[in-house]
Amino acid sequence: MSPVVSSTRVWEVFARREYEEPLHHVGTITEDDEDLALVAARSIYDEHPWIHMIIVPRSAIREAIRP
Amino acid sequence: MSTTAAGRDVATDCMVSLVGALADNKAALGRRYGEWAVSAPTLESAVAAAAMAQDELGHARSTYPVLKALGVEEPDETGFGGDRRLVLLDRELADWTAMIAANLLVDGALTTFVAGCVDSSITSMAQRARKILQEEGSHRVHAEAWARRLCRASDAQAELLIERLASTWEQSARFAGPDDDPGALAAVGLGMFSLTPARQRAMVRDWLVALLSAEGRSIELPEPVDWSAWDPRTRRWAP
Repeated sequence: MSPVVSSTRVWEVFARREYEEPLHHVGTITEDDEDLALVAARSIYDEHPWIHMIIVPRSAIREAIRP
Repeated sequence: MSTTAAGRDVATDCMVSLVGALADNKAALGRRYGEWAVSAPTLESAVAAAAMAQDELGHARSTYPVLKALGVEEPDETGFGGDRRLVLLDRELADWTAMIAANLLVDGALTTFVAGCVDSSITSMAQRARKILQEEGSHRVHAEAWARRLCRASDAQAELLIERLASTWEQSARFAGPDDDPGALAAVGLGMFSLTPARQRAMVRDWLVALLSAEGRSIELPEPVDWSAWDPRTRRWAP
């Protein structure tokens, strides 16, 4: 029996390679659990040896200018 | 100090068995994790399983050379590891819950032994232990988060997890060996590793009991008593 998981919480992932570099957007994670979202972010976006990576719940983002 | 049939002292003989079984179990666990890279319940966990598989296979590859420092010649090409692995890793894990039980208890038992090697008198083991512990942090986070998720999903999921944990513990608890093993006691005395077998089991037990207790679930992880079907070379329990 495999558990049925239907995560709906989306996280925006930001990372940087150099201290002098700003964080930039690298992708998203869909995962309800915060700890698993952190593990998934590190696993999925491992294309560079990042020095810093953060995840932000999409629901926390506020639009200053709408497209 | 007495010597064994292999001509080694009992402490070195025990350390050879532990390091060899650590490497073989990591190779086998890597393979088992890898099988879930295409079938985990979520894409995120599939990628995490693939990453953990890569870590375990890398740990296995880097651990085999420690045997040379202990005076054992191993073939250079070990593939997916030798026969010194837990019986439950001989074939595919039954389901995702069994995978999480292995993530908690097999990875937990191996990492606890490695944690006791960070100041090992076997320098090559101490160096590898520090690197392995860094990477195992995310395995533990993954295992704990999934344990909480399964406990909260439903009573049926929680009961299945506890059943899988109990059957995994029967084997994983015996990786460290009997607490009165003269080889283990001598190895601890010589600083090859710092945690006695019973201490290793107690650390895993205390952690997991507390984790499940916080979710309102209880589990018994008894100290193994019967060692009649345990092989000290492979550290396999095969009744």
